[in-house]
Formats: sequence, C-alpha cells, structure tokens
Amino acid sequence: MNLFSLNPTQLAGGQIALAAVLAVVGFALLLPRPRGRSVAGGIAALIGAAVVFAAFLYNAFGNPMPDVIGSVLFWLFSAGALGFGTVLVTQKNPARGAIAFAFVILSTCGLFLLLAATFLMAATIIIYAGAIIVTFLFVLMLSQTDGPSNENDRSREPWFGALAGFAFTGLVLFTLYLTHLRTTSASEDGEVAQRLPAPVLTTAERLKLADIVAKLDAENSQLPADSTSMVDRSRMAEHFEQIKAEIVTVVGSTEQSHVGSLQSRLGKLSGNPGVVLRTDEQAVAVLARATAIRERNEQVFRDVDNFVLNDPKHKSQDEVQAELRGLRDDVLLLAGAAELPARNVGNLGYLLFTNHLLAVELAGTLLLVATIGAISIATRKGAIA
Amino acid sequence: MITLWHYLAVAAALFGIGLVGFLTRRNMITMFLCAEMMLQGVAINFVAFARYHGNLHGQVFVMFILAVAACEAGIALALVLMLYKRGKSLDASDWQSLRELGVPPAIDTVPLDIEKPEAEPTLAPAGVRPTLTASEEAARV
Repeated sequence: MNLFSLNPTQLAGGQIALAAVLAVVGFALLLPRPRGRSVAGGIAALIGAAVVFAAFLYNAFGNPMPDVIGSVLFWLFSAGALGFGTVLVTQKNPARGAIAFAFVILSTCGLFLLLAATFLMAATIIIYAGAIIVTFLFVLMLSQTDGPSNENDRSREPWFGALAGFAFTGLVLFTLYLTHLRTTSASEDGEVAQRLPAPVLTTAERLKLADIVAKLDAENSQLPADSTSMVDRSRMAEHFEQIKAEIVTVVGSTEQSHVGSLQSRLGKLSGNPGVVLRTDEQAVAVLARATAIRERNEQVFRDVDNFVLNDPKHKSQDEVQAELRGLRDDVLLLAGAAELPARNVGNLGYLLFTNHLLAVELAGTLLLVATIGAISIATRKGAIA
Repeated sequence: MITLWHYLAVAAALFGIGLVGFLTRRNMITMFLCAEMMLQGVAINFVAFARYHGNLHGQVFVMFILAVAACEAGIALALVLMLYKRGKSLDASDWQSLRELGVPPAIDTVPLDIEKPEAEPTLAPAGVRPTLTASEEAARV
C-alpha cells in the first residue's frame, strides 16, 4: 500500500493518531518521577504533537481564514502594549516599571512586524534593549528600596493629571472617529481621497489586475495554430476582447474616451490642488503608468485580433506572444504599485541615502552633540553636595 | 479586518497613557520611561501610515525618532545622575524652586504611611519558677 495515496479520512485518522502518540510520549517524559524524566524530550514531543494537531485542523476544517491570525496577533500585541504601559505608569517600584516598559517595547515591535516593518522591529529591540538595561542599572544604583519614599509613593496631582491625559486621548480618538465616519460615508460618491490621501490602488482594483495577469498568462499559450477553424478563432477573439475590456475598466481607453476607475479616483486627487494638501507623487506616477498601459492595451489587442482572425497582414506568433508578455508585465507592475517593497532593509537604505541624505547627516550630528553633551554633563565638577 | 484606524487608535491610547505617567509620576526615571512610551505611540502612527500609503517614508521617520530617542536617553540619564548627586533623591518635586513666578509651592500634606519594622520574635515564657519548700531551701544551702 502506498503511504502517500491516502484518502482524506485515513489522512485525518493518521494525523490524530500521530498527535496522540506524540502527546502521550511528551506527557510521559514530562511527568515527575525519580528516574527517566527528560524535560527537553518531553517538550519536543509536545511541540511535535501540537504541530501535527495544527496540521490536522488545517486539513480537516480548512484554512481558518488567514486574517483571523492577523486579528488575534493585533489584539494580543495592542493589549500587551496598553496593559504593560498601564503597569509602568501605576507601578510603585521603578524596577518593575522598567520591566513593564520592556514588554511595552516588545508588543510595539510585534505591531511593527504586523505592519511589515521588519528592520524597524529589529532596530527598536536592539536600541531599546540597550536603553532599558542602562535605565535598569540607574534604578538599581539610585533608588533605595527601604521603605516608602516621596518619589515612588506620591503622585503629582493624580486626578488632574489623569484627567488631562485622558481628555487629550479622548479628543484624539473622537477626531479619529469623525474622520473615519467622513471617509467611509463619502466613499460611495468617490470623495474619499480628498480628506486623506488614499492608497493609489483599492483592494478590488488590485485583485482585478492580478486576475488579468493570470488570464493573460493562460491565454498566451493558447494562440491559435494555422489549422484552427474560423469558429474557434472568432470565439478566441471574443475572449481576448473580454480581457481587453477588463483592462479598460481599470486604466480607461483612448478610443472610446472611457475613463478607468484609477483615473476617475486619482485624477480628482491630483487635479484639485485646493482640496489636496500636497501633490501625491505616487498617485502621479501610477497615473502615468496607467496611461502607458492604456495605449499599449489598444495596440497589443489590435495585433492579437489581426493574428487570431488571420488577417493578411498579421504579425508572427512570436511577436504577438512577446507583446502579450510585455503587457502582462506592465499590468503586474501596476498591480504591485501600492504595495510595500519586499526587500525592506535594502529599500529603506536606498531611501535613506537618496531622499533623506541631509536628514541622516543631521541625525548623525545630533548624536555626536548628544554624546559630547552627556559626557560633559556627567563629569561636571563642583556639584553642591 | 484590521485597518489603519485600529492602529491609530492604539497609538493614541499608548500616547495618552504615557502622557498621564509623565504628568503625574515624580520619579525622574519613570518619567523618562513614560516619555519613551509616548514616542512609541507616535512611531506606531508613522509605521501604520507607511503601510497604508505603500511607501517607506514613514519608516524612515521612525528611524529618526529612534536616533533622537537615543540622544534623549543619553542626555536625560546624565542629567538625572547630576540631579541625584545634588539632591540625593530622584523626586522631581525637589526642584520646584525652579517653578514659575507667583505659583504657590506644592506641599505634601498627607504623611507617608511608614512601614513599621517587624518586631523581633520573642518566646512566650514556658513553665514557672519552682517555689521551694523549707526542706529544699535548707538542702540547697
């Protein structure tokens, strides 16, 4: 019997059994007894059991919606940040406060990771880990833990201070709510972009463009041979016409003076300087790219039509395929225009040394001045004892 | 679906908590940590906007925040050390002689509850001193 040709029931049963066996081994190894106990082996077995169980869940009940994982992580990290932040503020013992601050930083770094900022996550952990350790040393050096003291057991106007802080927070949140309300209610008549620079591509447009790329990939290999009948050829021509129309709905067309969804949304953004705070460079670049695709779309599909319908002056199959491939690459680039680049560190460095070079130099100077200042302050003589 | 607004709200709440801590706490090191927490709230805003717009300028800004936070940590801890040398205390209110003209000084009226040192353990007296009879008294002599 072939082990790799199981039906789903057998697969699920096997996974459950494997998970159960691993769990039994793990618990047997971990349960306390005088001889033969192995913590490492037990934990390894339990982790294996958990992995197999997760694989079973995935196989048997389907993918539990990838967004659920993102949501759970988001709630976990934000609750961690806010909870440990509260501990830091309310804890009497400053050493415990420093530990709570470390957890705030870790939670924030989790949020950074969810927002696709991998380099910042690492940098924040490294820098703040150093800062926290130094702070911790200061706390251990300076704070006497014998008995209550003014600085740890008293607060400066706790009622007014908390009121001021949370009134501020409440106002910020209320402003967020109002802005959110305005942008979502205006989205039907397409005025969203005026309040807040919108992402250049909506999710629907991006999905549609990805779909078009997949279709172009599929069609590229199915160009008709010389022997194809006329009926098949006209059906194929219709198919290509459909793809062309789909591209037109996004980028628009020159012949029918039809404006695509990109143009109608972003054109408003860049064409009305009184409403928009600044010219959105990204939107302008995407519009230029869409215009290029619009023209290419017309031309490529004219050639494809000629070829499919066996027009006397049609181009060769290789040429048509190359044109289709070029169009497909353009559409793919447009679809990825609103995404963060995959190489976070490389692109961050590129941006730092092209657009923000002066700021980098200033930050370096600031660090130098701060170092000199800290040394000169800390080594000052003549302090009043 | 987690949107930009969720991140903005969490960042605002983190900033607010840090603000409350900075306003009310009197330990200078805790105040410093609260200020750092406010910076983290702002950093979350920047990174969320970077994600939303699909470019990296927001993340670059957060790198500058990190640089400024490092400077701030160096200077602030040196200052705290100097103040501790002078006042032998981390209490920021010790320096309220620097306050604005015409503002009355803040005086702590409620006394701190002093922890009573635990009494040393004493043994309960066990047994009684024997009362001697006349014959025993004579025998002892």
